Amino acid sequence: MTTPAARLASEDFGPRVEPKPQYGRWLAGSIVGWAAFVAFLLFMSWVLLEIGRLIPAPFGSIVALILILVMITATLLTMADRKWSALMQDRVGPNRARLPIPGLSDKPLKGLPHIVADVLKMLFKEDFIPEGAMSDRFLFNLAPMLAFAPAFMLFAVVPVSPELQVARVDWGILYVFALASIAVFGTALAGWTSNNKLALMGGLRASAQLVSYEVTLGLTLVGAFIAFGTLRLDFMAELQGMAVQSLRSASALNISYDQSLLFGWLPAWGLVYQPVGLILFLVAAQAEIKRAPFDTPEGESEIIGYFLEYSGLKSGLFLIAEYAETVVVAGIVTAIFLGAYHIPWFEPAIVRAFGMGVLSVLQVFAFIVKMLLIIWIMFLARWAFPRFRYDQIMRLGWKMMLPISLLNVMVTAFVYLWAGREGIAWAGIVEWIAILFFIGLSQQKEQAHVPAAH
Amino acid sequence: MSQRPTDLSAGERFYLREAIKGMGVLAKHFWRNLFGFRDPNPEIMARQGPGVNMVSTINYPDERKAYPAGYRGMHRLVPRVDGKPRCVACYMCATACPAQCIYIEAGEYSDQAIEKYPVRFEIDELRCIVCGFCVEACPKDAIRMDTGSHAPAVLSRPLAVFDKEALLKGPAVEHPSDVLTYRLPIRK
Repeated sequence: MTTPAARLASEDFGPRVEPKPQYGRWLAGSIVGWAAFVAFLLFMSWVLLEIGRLIPAPFGSIVALILILVMITATLLTMADRKWSALMQDRVGPNRARLPIPGLSDKPLKGLPHIVADVLKMLFKEDFIPEGAMSDRFLFNLAPMLAFAPAFMLFAVVPVSPELQVARVDWGILYVFALASIAVFGTALAGWTSNNKLALMGGLRASAQLVSYEVTLGLTLVGAFIAFGTLRLDFMAELQGMAVQSLRSASALNISYDQSLLFGWLPAWGLVYQPVGLILFLVAAQAEIKRAPFDTPEGESEIIGYFLEYSGLKSGLFLIAEYAETVVVAGIVTAIFLGAYHIPWFEPAIVRAFGMGVLSVLQVFAFIVKMLLIIWIMFLARWAFPRFRYDQIMRLGWKMMLPISLLNVMVTAFVYLWAGREGIAWAGIVEWIAILFFIGLSQQKEQAHVPAAH
Repeated sequence: MSQRPTDLSAGERFYLREAIKGMGVLAKHFWRNLFGFRDPNPEIMARQGPGVNMVSTINYPDERKAYPAGYRGMHRLVPRVDGKPRCVACYMCATACPAQCIYIEAGEYSDQAIEKYPVRFEIDELRCIVCGFCVEACPKDAIRMDTGSHAPAVLSRPLAVFDKEALLKGPAVEHPSDVLTYRLPIRK
């Protein structure tokens, strides 16, 4: 063993030891990991509530929701997108970055150090401005901000708990539509000021797509307005479960069943009233935040989009805006369709057993869990579908989704005039059964065609 | 000209059902891989069992796939049971080598039935073309390529020249005919 190479070679020879599955370690790790995840979410819920209470009214919620909830979730989503997609595609996902901390320096930590690596990479990249964009430098720099800011401002009207909401305004959902259309300016400006033909085409595609789907996005929620009879997101949230006052009186009267349930057993969530609205809104929102299958505006791998000429942190702003928009859309879907912060069936029982303080923490926790579920479903769609062609996007938007959403508005309005809110719930249940029957029936038919063996 | 495929049923054209089915496939993979146990067995096809996930990656530097049996890898000088090389310094491997990467200096035993042994036996692994002719040429089964490893990366060329001490490794080999050649002491 004279040379290092010889030493290395000598280590290779010898009997092979096959690695064995360590089931015990895996089980313990899984339990500890999931317990830690739930504990983290619960702790964050408590922290958000406390921040909302400590800092005076609008600013507490601004810090808690926009700076902490949306920002942290969006940051973690940059990693979750890559890690979740890896799980969906049977890959391992990013796991090579390490934190230079003693004890952690050889642990992949589920890829979390990659967030730090990504941020540092973007911070230290050259902030390059193309020659032609120099004359319009102000607009060139304004574009990423215009793409980024509305995503955060949108969360102002989302009720995360009865206490946590930045703005309780009569025009809540109109504010959402108004700010969603501001995002078009960011993409169009970015494409135009880059002084690049490809970026301009990307900007045109983006603005055409966003303008087209805004129509559907607005119309899908009209059914929800009719069902709830309000534009305020906090009223909508309150209507899907028991309000704080009725919870207090219920606990005073020792009532432990949820009085807001439809027909005594069904949570009165928006998705019961508006199944078609929910599905259309999810699809339109996916198009509105420009994620696959509607990502022709970007098409980063081949056709190149509106942020072609952006580098460094400006490019990062466009990217993180996409994730922030995902969080906001998931928040709006949760608030309107998934019962917002309400925990179905158990709210009065929780108040009786543990009091209002525990319930408000659990409500924030429930909101975050529902929001994560919607985000997960949107990511599932993002990784399931190939990108639509531009004409397919337009056809889907104008010739399919717009008529269906108009029809949904008409049906909901007629049912409301004929049978009131309960009637809308009945119509929604019928629609759910029809959708599930349609999916289930066609799958059974397909199984009959599968040959027995090859 | 319509670009619409004609062999789709109405349900497939409606897309929603197919979309949900596709998302269902991804969801199945997601949950199975999330909760599943990661089997580190380098034989991917053998990764079966309760709760094993579908990830088929081998984390290369940490996990290695074994080379197949019969893989011509690094050379080794086969030792006898007494630990000395079986090589008798006959130069047949060096003669057979098309790359001329084997260098041998012969020495003599004075008191054994085997008269010759290699004083120096060096293989330049950078010159070696891994053809296996040396193994075929050896009359004493003294050189083999059964280590199951490849020549390691080195930082300078001299480090790739493997000497006798580095090459002499692995299990000892003994043949029945060996008794006649080295076990018996020389009669005086």
